Amino acid sequence: MTGLRAGDVLILAAAAVLVGASYAAFWSPRTEGDKAIISVGHDIVAHASLLEDRTVPVDGRLGRSLLKIEGGRIRFIESPCPGRYCVHTGWISRTGQVAACLPNGVVVEVEGGAREFDAINL
Amino acid sequence: MAISQRESVSIFPAEREDQLVAGLAALAIAIHILEAAFPSPLPGIKPGLANVVTVVVYLRYGFRVAAWVALLRVLVGSLLIGTFLSPTFLLSATGAVAAIGVLGVVGSVGRNTVGALGLSVAAALAHMSGQIWVAYSLFIPHPALLSLAPILLSAALVFGSVSGLIAANVDELLRGSGDQAHE
Repeated sequence: MTGLRAGDVLILAAAAVLVGASYAAFWSPRTEGDKAIISVGHDIVAHASLLEDRTVPVDGRLGRSLLKIEGGRIRFIESPCPGRYCVHTGWISRTGQVAACLPNGVVVEVEGGAREFDAINL
Repeated sequence: MAISQRESVSIFPAEREDQLVAGLAALAIAIHILEAAFPSPLPGIKPGLANVVTVVVYLRYGFRVAAWVALLRVLVGSLLIGTFLSPTFLLSATGAVAAIGVLGVVGSVGRNTVGALGLSVAAALAHMSGQIWVAYSLFIPHPALLSLAPILLSAALVFGSVSGLIAANVDELLRGSGDQAHE
């Protein structure tokens, strides 16, 4: 072996880490969902694709909730509930994530990718 | 002042450098075409032995000559193989530009610590990354293409190392032959 220097070893190590990271980055299961299940009470009212940006109105027990879909994510932007917890939940995009407006009975769950967790205990 | 600056950039007077570039590029082109004749186990993977020439030239004659040799190889190689201005050519050119860019950066940052092996590995990975990026953003913007990236990058690492070892040995041999070109 001729002319192997410190910088070479460093670059080889960095390259190995980078290539390893590329496996982790590109071969890990996709956790971003591609559709949302919107339900009111026990009834599923829509399977909404997250691929198309739009605003979805949903009529619940108290009135109309507005959901916004943008860039593969979905969120409540308006709801006729007192606390607006649903709106404060913000954007959700990972499979299994849920945003809910309980007073209005509207629940949104992201579906379609690999689930990162079976359950989350808060 | 201007003259001495110019001389510190270029080792050779202009005519001599032209001949040097032409000769080295011809060598790189020959290897490039020879390699294109061999079947590849997977599209996008090939040893890239022509890059041995680029690395050795960079080590001995500096960035400018190496850039000339690499770009001429891509241009003339594509004309001879018949892929000029095709997607293959664009990929090839992107790879060469990315590789020579990284060669220049790594080479000047690690002037005294990085040898042929490190340069070759860095250039090979840059070459492959550049190609994947262009293939993804221009030709096939589908996530499935990115799933190939780890395999392609692994191949680049292996072949970059092999080319690097060859380049190190060639450089050593040329040094030993007492060529006056080296400072």
